[in-house]
Amino acid sequence: MAAAESTPYLEELRRLLRMAEHPSTIGLISSEIRSLEIDQPPPPRLGKEASPAAEEANQEYYENRLNYIATLQNPYPHESSVSKTITEYVNEYEALLMDQQGVHLENITESLAGMAMRQRSSGTGCFFYDLCGNGARVQIYASARNSEMVRSEFLMFHSNVKRGDIVNVTGFPGKTMVGQISIFARSFVVLAPCLHMMPTVNPRGTEWSPGRPRNPETYSLRDQETRYRKRHLDLRTNPDVEHIVIDTRSEITFYIRQFLRNRQFREVDTPILHTIASGATARPFMTHHNELDMQLYMRIAPELYLKQLVVGGIERVFEIGKQFRNEGIDLTHNPEFTTCEFYQAYADYNHMMELTQEMFSGMVKELTGGYKIMYHSNGFDKDPIQIDFTPPFRRIDMIEELNKFANLKINPEDLFSEEANNALKAACNKYGIQCPPPETTARLLDKLVGHFLEEQCVNPSFIINHPEIMSPLAKGHRSRPGLTERFELFVNKHELCDGYTELNNPIVQRQRFANQLKDRQSGDDEAMPLDEGFCRALEYGMPPTGGVGFGIDRLCMLLTDSLNIKEVIPFPTMKPQDQQRAGSS
Amino acid sequence: MDAVRLWSLSSQPLKQLIRTTTTRLVVRCCSSSSTTTGGLAPKAGGRSRRLSASTSTSDKDAVRAIRLNKVQELRSKGLEPYGYSWDRTHSANQLQHVYKHLENGEETKPEEDGVSIAGRIVARRAFGKLAFLTLRDDSGTIQLYCEKERLSDDQFDQLKGLVDIGDIVGATGSIKRTEKGELSVYVSSFAILTKSLLPLPDKYHGLTDVDKRYRQRYVDMIANPEVADVFRKRAKVVSEIRKTVESFGFIEVETPVLQGAAGGAEARPFVTYHNSLGRDLYLRIATELHLKRMLVGGFEKVYEIGRIFRNEGISTRHNPEFTTIEMYEAYSDYESMMNMAEEIVTQCALAVHGKLTLDYQGVEIHLERPWRRESMHNLVKEATGITFNEFGNDLQGAKEVTLKNLGADLDYKYKSSIEACSSIGHLLNEVFEIVVEPKLVQPTFVLDYPIEISPLAKPHRRHAGLTERFELFICGRELANAFSELTDPMDQRGRLEEQVRQHNEKRSAAISEMDGAEDKREENDESYEVTLDDDFLTALEYGMPPASGMGLGIDRLVMLLTNSASIRDVIAFPVLKIQQ
Repeated sequence: MAAAESTPYLEELRRLLRMAEHPSTIGLISSEIRSLEIDQPPPPRLGKEASPAAEEANQEYYENRLNYIATLQNPYPHESSVSKTITEYVNEYEALLMDQQGVHLENITESLAGMAMRQRSSGTGCFFYDLCGNGARVQIYASARNSEMVRSEFLMFHSNVKRGDIVNVTGFPGKTMVGQISIFARSFVVLAPCLHMMPTVNPRGTEWSPGRPRNPETYSLRDQETRYRKRHLDLRTNPDVEHIVIDTRSEITFYIRQFLRNRQFREVDTPILHTIASGATARPFMTHHNELDMQLYMRIAPELYLKQLVVGGIERVFEIGKQFRNEGIDLTHNPEFTTCEFYQAYADYNHMMELTQEMFSGMVKELTGGYKIMYHSNGFDKDPIQIDFTPPFRRIDMIEELNKFANLKINPEDLFSEEANNALKAACNKYGIQCPPPETTARLLDKLVGHFLEEQCVNPSFIINHPEIMSPLAKGHRSRPGLTERFELFVNKHELCDGYTELNNPIVQRQRFANQLKDRQSGDDEAMPLDEGFCRALEYGMPPTGGVGFGIDRLCMLLTDSLNIKEVIPFPTMKPQDQQRAGSS
Repeated sequence: MDAVRLWSLSSQPLKQLIRTTTTRLVVRCCSSSSTTTGGLAPKAGGRSRRLSASTSTSDKDAVRAIRLNKVQELRSKGLEPYGYSWDRTHSANQLQHVYKHLENGEETKPEEDGVSIAGRIVARRAFGKLAFLTLRDDSGTIQLYCEKERLSDDQFDQLKGLVDIGDIVGATGSIKRTEKGELSVYVSSFAILTKSLLPLPDKYHGLTDVDKRYRQRYVDMIANPEVADVFRKRAKVVSEIRKTVESFGFIEVETPVLQGAAGGAEARPFVTYHNSLGRDLYLRIATELHLKRMLVGGFEKVYEIGRIFRNEGISTRHNPEFTTIEMYEAYSDYESMMNMAEEIVTQCALAVHGKLTLDYQGVEIHLERPWRRESMHNLVKEATGITFNEFGNDLQGAKEVTLKNLGADLDYKYKSSIEACSSIGHLLNEVFEIVVEPKLVQPTFVLDYPIEISPLAKPHRRHAGLTERFELFICGRELANAFSELTDPMDQRGRLEEQVRQHNEKRSAAISEMDGAEDKREENDESYEVTLDDDFLTALEYGMPPASGMGLGIDRLVMLLTNSASIRDVIAFPVLKIQQ
């Protein structure tokens, strides 16, 4: 793959070689060609796929490196000097030396540092490296002639510089005969040796940007276990990863913060350790505080605390933070994940829908330059689909549309009844929709909606006006009894966002908690427990408020064409590795 | 210092009482106009007010019942006591600003300058055909001027009969400055948006119930706008920190809270259990080890603002969960982090106060740069006259000199902790904590900590036995901790293994001690397990660039910048003991 891609460059080099006259030029170009032809060994397989032989080779490599650094006085020096980042260096001298070849600016001294990759030598006392760092790369040209070391020392030193070493180079800028921006090293110091065999890096930089499809098959490190467990290797070897895990994620949170701050929302922190786990329906993590001898839960949602701050007079408030759910790990679930929730006093769900629509479409526009993104919804072996964030988003009235598509006659006002429950069970049977017990009315409805409505929501769509029994914290609809003023935003058939006009009537809130308790008793252990402190806060009066919550990880997945949540979390929770040998690479 | 604070708090209410007694009287009479709840009707004078202020449960229940009746009454009139939304044209503060020029008695034309506002009613006076309400929103307060003629039909009666202090109300009207000079909304219509059911505490007596302040923070915020202000400032500080470090090119990274091994600090972790993985997980006690993995991964400047958890006692300085910023910069040393610390703290001070001199609990703190930088050895020598590097390895001799030098009046607690020190480094640190730390009021960087107490710091390039580490002290409190990071994986492994060994030694000692004393039910400090983060050590073997890193406590910084005495004043919902 990589060899095929580098062909045009190789051909150009061969052409230049035919034209070259000066011996040093010939030496240089032929070494570059050799290095390109040679430097494509298959990456060492890592992780669970490693064969015993490869493992042995790795171990031997490691021991040799240990023996080598034992001979050094200080293999981890204190001093390093950096005059520019690699990006700054490349930008500055690309501009300065545009359209020039074979120029050496020997009067200028620059110091760069980074990771040495793709090492090759010309056999004539020259060594070339790619120096990588923060997503950028530049060539190091180290020759005995320019070095402060004597030739034999120089050759010995460079034979011990290995792929992956962190190095510090001081020298002068210039361009090689083939027009490659380089730093010509006068001094070359290893700051931190790499003791393990480093996988090779696909020499081509990434073309990927948010919203575009990507192809993980081209990565030089593909084994998922290794990629997620040793993220530092993943980051060093797979050029996309840095953009996915870190850059795009930080651009997304940056956009959200700015969007909300510009609208006078204030960012707050609410506790992660709760004495009661409410505000969502999920199984919580439990822990114990020793000195207070107190059982604590890790939050499953910040909602109830944020609303207390609204009661306290902070009218527009948001929190970006971790939530924790003690659930299985799969493609879309990690036990800890990041959400953003925001609340605005004196606003209702109509307003919040507008705001949500503005935020998401604006974000996609800002990050990708347009409203349409590509996503491998059906797997990387199928073609990607297009998802269109152009506002306005479609709105689907839940019960009306469900009645229409499933040919039902649900009356939201008597959803509490036994008959309604039976009718929904019958409908599920009729369409062959599985609902694992307990078959509460809320759960049955959820399954039907999943089957009939969510399936239609590939482009962002709001499903609105949920029945009360599905929405314990949402306010009753102002004109349609039995329903609430709630919306969920679905993208690619998955829920991304949940919002409502907040229920602020303490009496009704207590009733809703009591109804949840009934569901709990009928076996739904994810129904929401009563939070007395929160109900009490409502009794002091919470202004009419609109609120929205959404998962940042899922948003990251959409914008980075990731099918696995682990792709967008720098250090996802992994199964224990007890069987595997500790410290093995 | 605490005494000073208490005094200033208790002196204020007196002033306030004198000023507001009359208005409050009227208020209460009105809000319970149709009632027979005699217990609520306040009597004049400070003492009896104080008694009625700690509204007993039965009083509260009575108020609740009355207000629930009003909810019914509103409904019966076809009015929704829990409204859906309200469109505002201005905030209170904006109005105060926009209509600054209005003369006393002057009114804007209703048809041209109609305004709409919303907020909580915090005070109320009603006369025959006139009522004055004070409305507070997020930005400030403004008076509602309500005249029977201006309002339609029975709205004025509703206002008198159904609106209580604490209700959330929306109002529209024109703007008028009263003859007395109070800018007001001259109300033409209003709506109760949320009917409150419980009475707000009397402003200054609410303060005395410290526990309730933290448990019902929202009540504290309603009663004392300064409290809400602390959290507004907190938001500003966090946002300013982000802005500052991002301007230096740092990238924010989220590292996990749930970890297989809790490393990066020495502290008792919280333990939890993941059902489907079937394993224990620890809540992080630091973000350090994962952020360093990012440096190994090729990032050069990373930071994280995040929650840290330590399963330790609570105090005015400790909450089991707290917020820090940790930041790491490749190719730099601890010198660079000192500049960073100065930059962050001064930027935040300027953002909150607009100046670099601040008052903290009666002490004037000067944040002008540069701050004092002095080694731990020199500071201890300065305070005690002891030169610790003269002792070599003579620990016993060093202890004798120390005890003699610090004098006989030394607290027993300190004497025994000095006796317990296992190395010269520990002893030096102990003396530093006892003698020097409390005196470091103005910002001071304490440099070059002993290697024995700094398992993640790089050995000092010139002084054997020391590390390139500093802590920043302000007001006798540690605010930041930073070092040139240890990058040598062999050295790191050795130090962490030593740490685990020492911990396990203490732990088994503690356990055998507990076996001896049977009714020592309480678990000892050291009774938790410490494990090695092998993945981190492997990551180091791939090569981490030389780097410096710093952790800075955001709660403590907010305490300093908001003049708050307790960490519970700057955390909106602190962890509290279970209520009886």
